[in-house]
Amino acid sequence: MKPAMYAIIKKDFCGVATNRRLFSALLIVPLILTIVLPSIFVITIHFAPDDPDMMKLLELIPETARMDSMELTLSSLILNYILPVFFLVIPIMTASIMAASAFVGEKERHTLETLLYCPLTLRQIFQAKVLASFLLSMLVSLISFASMFLVIETELFFLMGRLLLPSASWLVVMLLVSPAISLIAVTLIVRGSAKAQSVEESQQSAVFLIIPLILLIAGQFTGVLLMSVWILLCLGVVCAILA
Amino acid sequence: MQTVTIQKLSKTYPGGKDALKQLSLSLNEGEVFGFLGPNGAGKTTTVKLLTGVLTASSGSCEIMGINPNTQPEKVHLLSGIVTEHAQMYDNLTGIENLIFYAAVFGMKPEEGKQRGELLLKELEMTDAKDRKLATYSTGMRQRLSLARALLHRPKVLFLDEPTSGLDPESAQNVNQMIHNLACKEGITVFLCTHQLRYAQEICTRYGLIEQGSLLALGTLQELRKQVFTSQSLRICASAIPASLHFQKRKTNEFETKIHDKKEIPVLVRKIVEAGEDIYSVNLTEPSLEDIYFALTASRKEDQTI
Repeated sequence: MKPAMYAIIKKDFCGVATNRRLFSALLIVPLILTIVLPSIFVITIHFAPDDPDMMKLLELIPETARMDSMELTLSSLILNYILPVFFLVIPIMTASIMAASAFVGEKERHTLETLLYCPLTLRQIFQAKVLASFLLSMLVSLISFASMFLVIETELFFLMGRLLLPSASWLVVMLLVSPAISLIAVTLIVRGSAKAQSVEESQQSAVFLIIPLILLIAGQFTGVLLMSVWILLCLGVVCAILA
Repeated sequence: MQTVTIQKLSKTYPGGKDALKQLSLSLNEGEVFGFLGPNGAGKTTTVKLLTGVLTASSGSCEIMGINPNTQPEKVHLLSGIVTEHAQMYDNLTGIENLIFYAAVFGMKPEEGKQRGELLLKELEMTDAKDRKLATYSTGMRQRLSLARALLHRPKVLFLDEPTSGLDPESAQNVNQMIHNLACKEGITVFLCTHQLRYAQEICTRYGLIEQGSLLALGTLQELRKQVFTSQSLRICASAIPASLHFQKRKTNEFETKIHDKKEIPVLVRKIVEAGEDIYSVNLTEPSLEDIYFALTASRKEDQTI
């Protein structure tokens, strides 16, 4: 890769970091999804009374998914089945914010023309910007993942006296689904960038990616579709092919 | 050596508008070429074609022997471009912007910083170098754009309205800088403007364009000869003999048309021999503005016919 492309990536990173509005959006959503929401789940489980109906419901769960106590079983279910789907909102949001700023934002501010006068091919400029969006998305996802586990495990340790290991689903989410879904978000933004007149307008197109995600969340909660590692893996492969 | 060559270059936009029609010209090294015309004449389209941002409908162009259409990145390495729409980043300071563009042009951060600071000093912007671009005035942005275009020491400089928004002092400063770049460093300057008086101050050759067609091409003297067959001679004298066919303008001020400078001493001698006193003799040469209006007027007449 040319040093000029590094310069563009670095500039795009700084552009998001110094823009208070974009930076707060990048900070607040992961904070809610990876710290606030899981904490509410864990605390609710801990303080919820031992409802006999809930015990009956838990008996329906396969033996392998059951743990020492109801608290731990519920926490494990939330951690490994519910949170991965919520987590996918983060790469979609980060990639779409960054891509909209990098492509449509430059067009809106009349800085894209100046970049076109630089000694880089259109393809190289495009590659640098896609890479910047993708890398930021992955970085935010990784930091969110690490901070989420740090907070959850600390809470579990102090409230229930045990730590829970993340399942293989997280591996699939982090290594396959997250990167693929980020690339899809970037592609959608880039495709719409020629017609979009403003950054906000451009970000709207990424909203369509949230719709299937909402369906997955609803499926998880109602039990209509339970996301196993294999389903996640298939979803990841499909997303990767689409990307 | 020819640095810019254009042969029968035409551009028709998808809507069907002919922005440029069969333009042919060439520029030599160290030349300051004024590409003049009203808004919408095709000046910016020509710059975009020469820098590879647009593709020509027909014809060809080359910058130092490189086709901008097939190798735009090589052309950009050889040329600096300042246009109204090529803006820089508001969230960065003046010097940060220059360091970024220097990096994109393959310069190391330290080298970029040094070069940027030097150019800012030349453009009298050292005090504003650490201020965010969002606080810059239009004129400061314009000067920073010029600094950005000169960062990588280009061989050809494309300037689209470089002094629009500049106060007279800054405009003079920019003019001096452009003049020095052409004279001392041999940079070819392709300057697009509709400010004819400004162009006359710094350009060595001109191309006048209207509605995508080149009306005239040449130095000021060549254009004068092409457009006007005579020049205006104004003499302030006590009186002028009627046989010399002068027209009276004001009290003691007379005007006539001459075809050659050699006619002046003959006329002066005749006035003196007639016993009249001469207070001043002025030969009014047509300005670029006069030439431009004469050309556009004759074009309109042709179209009416």
